[in-house]
Amino acid sequence: MPSKKTLHIESSGQICIYCGACVGICPLNCIYLDETRITFDEKVCTRCEICVRACPVGAIEIG
Amino acid sequence: MQNLKTDVLVIGAGPAGSMTAKWAAMSGAKTVMIEKRQEIGSPVRCGEGMSKAWLPDVGIKPSSRWINVEVEGARIFSPAEKVLEINEKHAGNEVGYVVERDAFDKQLAIDAANAGVEVMLKTSAISLLRDDGHIVGVTAKQFGQTFEIRAPITIGADGFESQVGRWAGLPTNLALRDMDSCIQYRMTNVDSDTRYCDFYLGKVAPGGYVWIFPKGDGLANVGIGVQVSKLRNPADVKMYLDKWIAEHPAYSKGKKIDMVGGGVSISAPMKETVTNGFMLVGDAARMIDPLTGGGIANGCIAGKIAGEVAAKAVTANDTSKQFLQAYEKGWRAKIEDKLYRNWLAKEKLCTLPDETFDKIIDALQGVKLEKLTVLNILKAVHDKYPEVTKEFEAFL
Ligand SMILES: Cc1cc2nc3c(=O)[nH]c(=O)nc-3n(C[C@H](O)[C@H](O)[C@H](O)COP(=O)(O)OP(=O)(O)OC[C@H]3O[C@@H](n4cnc5c(N)ncnc54)[C@H](O)[C@@H]3O)c2cc1C
Ligand code: SF4
Ligand code: SF4
Repeated sequence: MPSKKTLHIESSGQICIYCGACVGICPLNCIYLDETRITFDEKVCTRCEICVRACPVGAIEIG
Repeated sequence: MQNLKTDVLVIGAGPAGSMTAKWAAMSGAKTVMIEKRQEIGSPVRCGEGMSKAWLPDVGIKPSSRWINVEVEGARIFSPAEKVLEINEKHAGNEVGYVVERDAFDKQLAIDAANAGVEVMLKTSAISLLRDDGHIVGVTAKQFGQTFEIRAPITIGADGFESQVGRWAGLPTNLALRDMDSCIQYRMTNVDSDTRYCDFYLGKVAPGGYVWIFPKGDGLANVGIGVQVSKLRNPADVKMYLDKWIAEHPAYSKGKKIDMVGGGVSISAPMKETVTNGFMLVGDAARMIDPLTGGGIANGCIAGKIAGEVAAKAVTANDTSKQFLQAYEKGWRAKIEDKLYRNWLAKEKLCTLPDETFDKIIDALQGVKLEKLTVLNILKAVHDKYPEVTKEFEAFL
């Protein structure tokens, strides 16, 4: 179930290194990586925080 | 962009995709390979170490265009930094090269193109086309335009981040314990020994290891993989690597010139990699060796088989799941046993405390092993630390 928490992927180049680790592990297959652009499907994401743990540089926040 | 038709469609132009496409074309099939990036092989997400014994079998000619260094062996460092040296003889020809991965990937794509493959850059698969229970191609996007590519056989070679496999309904999902999150710096001005690839085990990298792969002239790839289930805080992976480098003067004096990351699957082999009209290959099919984290060789070995089977299926006008079992059986015959054994070994190793790693490596000091097999190692350890081998009874 989508929850009220918000997920933010800092993908402007400040933190994200476009490595695709989050894309490969998201159980709902809802993150997309296009060269240097990361997007995720707000409606599908359950805020399970798995991608937050998998990101090697801490670019994903849930609050 | 107009809709296209081909015999075989390969999604992704990494090593697995290029090998698949090349062998499909060489076996007579009209083949298209699409790649979402604008440059094949870049950015590099790789430690760039690979064994070499498998290359002739899949038709890859070693070339100075992509080989940086030919190493003599590997060194494994325990947490107390006792060293186990593995040379070519022990490792059964498993040692090999440190490569320039972008040049390697480009060469495989060139080989595919020269074999007749149509290569399309900046072209993403965005969904699968289905017809009567068969996958029959993709909807793709290129330069903002959406179009269809129809093919009786579609092959997903879209790497670790594979979405295509899941769209096809194959079980590619990974649990937290089935993945290592990785980061690597390419560093210059470091004292790495170009005779060896080095691996540091234990709590410096829980459920993974720190690697140093030398590229010559004071250049080396210094990277880390950590099992995701063992990560506690955001950015822990980077923290572990930075800490390790800070504690090793030979590397802390080095200068970073690039940084890459990525995910590596460390799971047991997948149960199923084909469905009607569709095959999955390489990282997308979780073919990475769960112990070493290496995936280039397995992707290429399976790619050759996938390409040959795809062409046969087109000729036979039978793209059913049953026909494609030839691929499923073919790749398993070549690599499944080792994937499974190494997965078991990895499952055990991730649970060991640092002291046990130290004992194992200590027990092997000065022991002349004919061949470095799990059994031979355990026998040597048993002579010195019988209590340690109790934990490994399942392997004996
Ligand atoms: C940090 C790190 C270090 C590693 N070190 C080593 C090592 O030292 N030795 C080793 O053997 N292995 C190593 N690996 C693993 C190795 O990189 C992979 O096994 C190898 O790249 C797999 O090849 P592949 O062709 O399956 O996938 P990839 O090389 O990932 O290629 C997949 C391609 O598909 C494209 N693609 C993805 N989605 C789409 C789409 N929808 N449409 C079109 N194209 C798409 C991608 O852009 C990419 O080019 C490492 C991995 C990481 C992350
Ligand atoms: S929070 Fe979970 S569902 Fe949402 S993008 Fe991350 S991994 Fe996917
Ligand atoms: S895991 Fe982190 S760094 Fe890698 S692509 Fe996802 S958000 Fe970016």
